[in-house]
Amino acid sequence: MNPGIDLQGTFIKSLMDLGLPSGTAKAIWMPVPMMLMIIGATVGVLVTTWLERKISAAAQQRIGPEYIGPAGLLAPVADGLKLVFKEDVVPAKSDSLLFTLGPIIVVIPVFLSFLIVPFGQHLIITDVSMGVFLWIALSSVQPIGLLMAGYASNNKYSLLGGLRAAAQSISYEIPLALAVLAIAMMSNSLSTVDIVNQQSGYGILGWNVWRQPVGFIIFWIAALAECERLPFDLPEAEEELVAGYQTEYAGMKFGLFYLGSYVNLVLSALLVAILYLGGWDFPIPISLIASWLGVSETNPVLQIVDASLGITMTILKAYFLIFLAILLRWTVPRVRIDQLLDLGWKFLLPVGLVNLLLTAALKLAFPFAFGG
Amino acid sequence: MLKFLKQVGDYAKETVQAGRYIGQGLAVTFDHMQRRPITVQYPYEKLILGERFRGRIHFEFDKCIACEVCVRVCPINLPVVDWEFDKASKKKKLNHYSIDFGVCIFCGNCVEYCPTNCLSMTEEYELSTYDRHELNYDSVALGRLPYKVTNDPMVTPLRELVYLPKGVMDPHDLPADAPRAGARPEDLVQYEK
Repeated sequence: MNPGIDLQGTFIKSLMDLGLPSGTAKAIWMPVPMMLMIIGATVGVLVTTWLERKISAAAQQRIGPEYIGPAGLLAPVADGLKLVFKEDVVPAKSDSLLFTLGPIIVVIPVFLSFLIVPFGQHLIITDVSMGVFLWIALSSVQPIGLLMAGYASNNKYSLLGGLRAAAQSISYEIPLALAVLAIAMMSNSLSTVDIVNQQSGYGILGWNVWRQPVGFIIFWIAALAECERLPFDLPEAEEELVAGYQTEYAGMKFGLFYLGSYVNLVLSALLVAILYLGGWDFPIPISLIASWLGVSETNPVLQIVDASLGITMTILKAYFLIFLAILLRWTVPRVRIDQLLDLGWKFLLPVGLVNLLLTAALKLAFPFAFGG
Repeated sequence: MLKFLKQVGDYAKETVQAGRYIGQGLAVTFDHMQRRPITVQYPYEKLILGERFRGRIHFEFDKCIACEVCVRVCPINLPVVDWEFDKASKKKKLNHYSIDFGVCIFCGNCVEYCPTNCLSMTEEYELSTYDRHELNYDSVALGRLPYKVTNDPMVTPLRELVYLPKGVMDPHDLPADAPRAGARPEDLVQYEK
């Protein structure tokens, strides 16, 4: 495996060459990738909301946003600005502390999970050795915030929505974890970088979708349920629960929920891309292209091309999945709560378990193909 | 044991079926994305309405003989006909006539039954006001004719589905002389002869 570009090392080294002590240089480096990731995630959300509107419009033979900026590109910005300037209403008989805390607890873990999203060998904030596990742990913090928001609003619809959200998140966490477990077993690691590396080398043929087709589907369904996307959006189900736990929220607190749900969608799409679609891996192995062109793998130009191609590939794969989610939104009707729990406990859980056992058996039988 | 296996097999079959249905649904949604939007950008573009469109009712004061047929055929006796008997000419003389379009359901019965054709339907449908009492049109307001969409320089008129050539669904960028589908009345007359 070629080392690729090490931005961190180069940055710190150049600062140390300027005469700074190594501790200061590292401290200066630290906020840079964090800021980049937060900005990247927010821009990703803006793009996703725009895409959501445009694709929804196209699926219904409408035009969608058109006059706010070129092709309505500024519509999400206008949305955000509106929410920022709106009055921040706290209902009279609500629990104002929990009411404020709710959206914060929902949003923070989602942004924190971007810690483990790699865009390249070194293009990651921290390569935690149990990255995916960290993500699963963080995503189970979210239902607490939702429950808090639902309870604090002092509103029946909110409470029902919050309870539904908690029930849904908890039941779909298990199939999600089982699907991830099968992947972790195959790559002998929970680190996202290791998982991608294990898939690379054979281009599109090496990706985990081919070895884990069932796991891929389980993971995608569970991820959609975790994000409360349309076939599973019953916590907000506007026809029955007004807006679920969001009913009493306005202004930036509602904005946080909105932001959180879309960041969560982008994050889930990115993780599906990383776990199953080879992350930053190009469909044709880069080393193969390099040998065709007769360029050595340590060529700086090739490495820059490789890195930017990696970022583009990750984002492209993620947005393909987001596109699929939006298309699914206009195809599949919302499920009932009993159907939702049936699907989670009676279908995804046993299938996930069988998939896990099968992966273990295949790993023992064919260690070369299933990561012995 | 065999029964259990059969149950598992049936369940698997149903799951595959459900997956296929979702796939079919996705194909339909995906296909719709390639179709052109049929949006009419309303204040800037407006549809040319069909001949039988039932809009705001037009009333000609001088034709009315105050027979009150319109009131009788109206489902809610809506038109208000204020007349008095003129002894000199031994005829009813109409003083005022009004219809409240906030209550009217635009069924067109009055237009249908008016013996002197003093009532007719117009193409006007933009009846929003700030006060519902403004919708109570008196004989003067009822006598006004709406502005035609095709004459409005601010509006791009678009043909409605009835006026489009056969097989065409989208009124945008259509040549002005494209004939509408089906035979026109004059063609039908020719055919009868």
